[in-house]
Amino acid sequence: MLTYTLRRILGMIPTLLIISAVCFAVIKLQPGSFTDQYLEDPRFTRETAEAISRQLGLDQPAIVQYGRWLWGVVTRLDFGYSFLQNRPVVSVIGDLLGWTVFLSLITLLFSWLVAVPLGLYTAFNRHGLAAGVANFLGYVGLAIPDFLAALLLVALVLQLGGTNVGGLFSPAYIDAPWSWARVADLLKHLWIPVLALGLEGVAGLMRQMRASTLDVLTQDYIRTARAKGLPQHRVIWRHAVRNAINPLISLAGLSLPALISGTIIVSIVLSLPTIGPLLYDSLINKDQYTALTLLMLSAFLLLVGNLLADLALAWADPRVRYT
Amino acid sequence: MLKRTLPLVTLALLGGALAAPKKVTGYGGLGVVDGKPGGTYTLVLGDSPQSLNYYGVIDNNLGLLAQQMFDGLVEFNYASYKVEPALAESWVVSPDGKVYTFKLRQGVKWSDGQTFDADDVVFTYDQIIMNPEARAGDAANFKLDGKPVQVKKVDANTVQFILPRPSPAFLLQMRSFIMPKHRLLKFSQEGGAKPADINNAWPSNVNEAEVVGTGPFKLSNYTAGQKVTLVKNPNYWKVDGRGTKLPYLDRLEFLIIRDPQAQVAQFLAGNVDQLNISGAQFPDLKQREVSGAPFKVMRSTALFGSPPFVAYNFDAKDPALAKVFSDARFRRAMQSALNRDRIIDTVYNGLASLPGHGVAPVNKEWYTNTTKQLGTFDLKAAAAALDALGLKDTNGDGVREISRGKNLEFDLTYATDSSVYPAIATILQNDFSKIGVKVNLKGILAKNLLSTGQSGNWEMILHAFGDQPDPELRKPIWQPGGALYYWHRSLMPAQDGGKPNLARMAPWEKEIYNIFDDAATTTDRSKRKALYTRWQLLFAQNLPVTPIAKPENIGAVSNKYGNYIYNLGVIPGYNPVPLIYQK
Repeated sequence: MLTYTLRRILGMIPTLLIISAVCFAVIKLQPGSFTDQYLEDPRFTRETAEAISRQLGLDQPAIVQYGRWLWGVVTRLDFGYSFLQNRPVVSVIGDLLGWTVFLSLITLLFSWLVAVPLGLYTAFNRHGLAAGVANFLGYVGLAIPDFLAALLLVALVLQLGGTNVGGLFSPAYIDAPWSWARVADLLKHLWIPVLALGLEGVAGLMRQMRASTLDVLTQDYIRTARAKGLPQHRVIWRHAVRNAINPLISLAGLSLPALISGTIIVSIVLSLPTIGPLLYDSLINKDQYTALTLLMLSAFLLLVGNLLADLALAWADPRVRYT
Repeated sequence: MLKRTLPLVTLALLGGALAAPKKVTGYGGLGVVDGKPGGTYTLVLGDSPQSLNYYGVIDNNLGLLAQQMFDGLVEFNYASYKVEPALAESWVVSPDGKVYTFKLRQGVKWSDGQTFDADDVVFTYDQIIMNPEARAGDAANFKLDGKPVQVKKVDANTVQFILPRPSPAFLLQMRSFIMPKHRLLKFSQEGGAKPADINNAWPSNVNEAEVVGTGPFKLSNYTAGQKVTLVKNPNYWKVDGRGTKLPYLDRLEFLIIRDPQAQVAQFLAGNVDQLNISGAQFPDLKQREVSGAPFKVMRSTALFGSPPFVAYNFDAKDPALAKVFSDARFRRAMQSALNRDRIIDTVYNGLASLPGHGVAPVNKEWYTNTTKQLGTFDLKAAAAALDALGLKDTNGDGVREISRGKNLEFDLTYATDSSVYPAIATILQNDFSKIGVKVNLKGILAKNLLSTGQSGNWEMILHAFGDQPDPELRKPIWQPGGALYYWHRSLMPAQDGGKPNLARMAPWEKEIYNIFDDAATTTDRSKRKALYTRWQLLFAQNLPVTPIAKPENIGAVSNKYGNYIYNLGVIPGYNPVPLIYQK
């Protein structure tokens, strides 16, 4: 197990290297350059734009720029400099990391807590009316993009005379120190993004859970267990659910990169201080090191998520063994 | 204004360090009344500020904040846009037009209590604005004929600018925000840093107390991605008619909201007190106002702001197209097929008016009435004019031929992510097709419009440049061979700052070229006016670009606040916010 884990972790290094090279190449292949915005402004001459290119090292060949960035990462864990914000990429990302992780975790928790029981319920009562309704809502949830759900919720709140229509706090609480009132204000705002972001996840997970439960229910060992006369709840919880949940663990691992890119539009629509819009901005403006670092972070999370999912599978499913 | 402040100057001299505040009066015509102190005013920022150093990044959001935190030596009158005293109380221009001597307002203090003086002004211009490595500096405008402008401290309250040649629009450059030497010295060459280090001053995670200005407000707090809070600067140097210290407001809060719909939602929910909106959002908000919502929607004719135009590439890759495009008769013919009224009605909801040629019609000082030359929408006349040019449809396929077997067909490059360009492009395509001109729409991102324009890789383009109070400030755009005169790129000098290719200019282009060169050094106001009048007529007649419409500015403001004058945007030296008060 330990060697397996170590091997996997070492295996990530060349993968990440290749990914970083590909990402950098893709960023560089976009038309335009960071200094275009300087050309846009009549106050600037081409000389100024060239001076800025020189300051930022953009006059060097792409391979040199990449090499320098990589060397900085390897030797000093320096992920480069944000052209847009005039400060290190790490501090720019750090500003937003807290809220991003918080929102993602709470959304993930919400979707699991709602989806797993619903999936089980619809699997066991698949011909009931309630299951039909849940399934239908699942389809709707899958079909509505998260930003649209967010807009609809905002419009609804506005129509009902509410004032919590975006952001995580009311203006007065944004920079207030923590207090119970601030927590209450946060909760008043939090439900919209959690619902909007979580809805799609709920729908997907629920259907996955339902499908794999149905799959498991036809297996021999369930019939054996039933034939042995085990009580229904033991059949469900001890045998069915434990086996049916495996695909969901893999899914959970794969959902980690959504931390970075999953919230772009919702964050813009709801003015949430997450990393999503930063990735968008950095790609649009060719703020290359910020974009590259975020893409790398996303790739890294995917690999880590995969690894964690595999380890969790080994723990959850006695048939999976790594040596 | 000068006469009124003179007694105050004497007073200040007598009283030593006695402050000489500027009295802000005379705006009754704009509906401005005496307000009362106190209150919080919430606005929106379209995105997080990239830095807090105005000269370190080009960023409109920072511009909005900087406008409240810093002042220039001179500023615009809110009503007439004429230049009037700000941090400089008075100035004298030498008879040869080359030496500008500014007497600084005495008793002005930075928001941290330090005294503002000539050292700050010299430092700002010499070390920051004229520093070619400062990313948002302005070094190029402080070099005339290749020679730099000199800034000299005469005494603690007097600064002199010595120009290599007369430059009548120079005073407008003096709107640049003055920065505190005592805080920024360590980032400057004078303080031993590298020239480019100035860009690293005051990043967005700077300690708030470091950011010091003379403006009405000072930085209090920045919460990443959410809000910027400014608080009243108690040392501000303006008072109202009754002598009450400005600004009236205690706090100015900027919520960071990127999505325009979300901004409107926050405004409707009452979390935002004032919002600048687009023509598309106008009907909904106006209707709510009429049915009793607690806010007002105001329209105002714009001086600044960008009127869209279409340009034809004189140097198009296809030589036949290039030949047609560089013919003024063709551009005039196409102008008759340009339905301005329809665009103003449907695209701008009627919230726009006919454009000027390089000067906004509201700019009384320089505008020449060229409405007649805009022509009228007349497809028959357009078709006849194209026929006369020999561009006829000979094979009966509904499209004119540019040469044998080759259709008059070209791409129109426009921005897909704009609220107005796609609709305008469709209207143009539709009307042009009716006279046998086939236009293919080619959408790109708005931010790539200019670089695409300058690359020369386009045939017809829909774009806009902003208007300014003085045509001199738009010289790189409208002077043939200028850095932004991209529809005729073959005129550009081989090297930056060199002489453009005069031989390739059309006679009217050469005349415009000379007009801009002459006007730049003519100090006599009426002579300059005559020159720019001639330029506008040449522009209207020859259409280097064809202007489409001049959009109005629309703003919505909560009824809780008084003295709102439309915020014209990020224009240094124009800041009516200190007058706003909570009722």
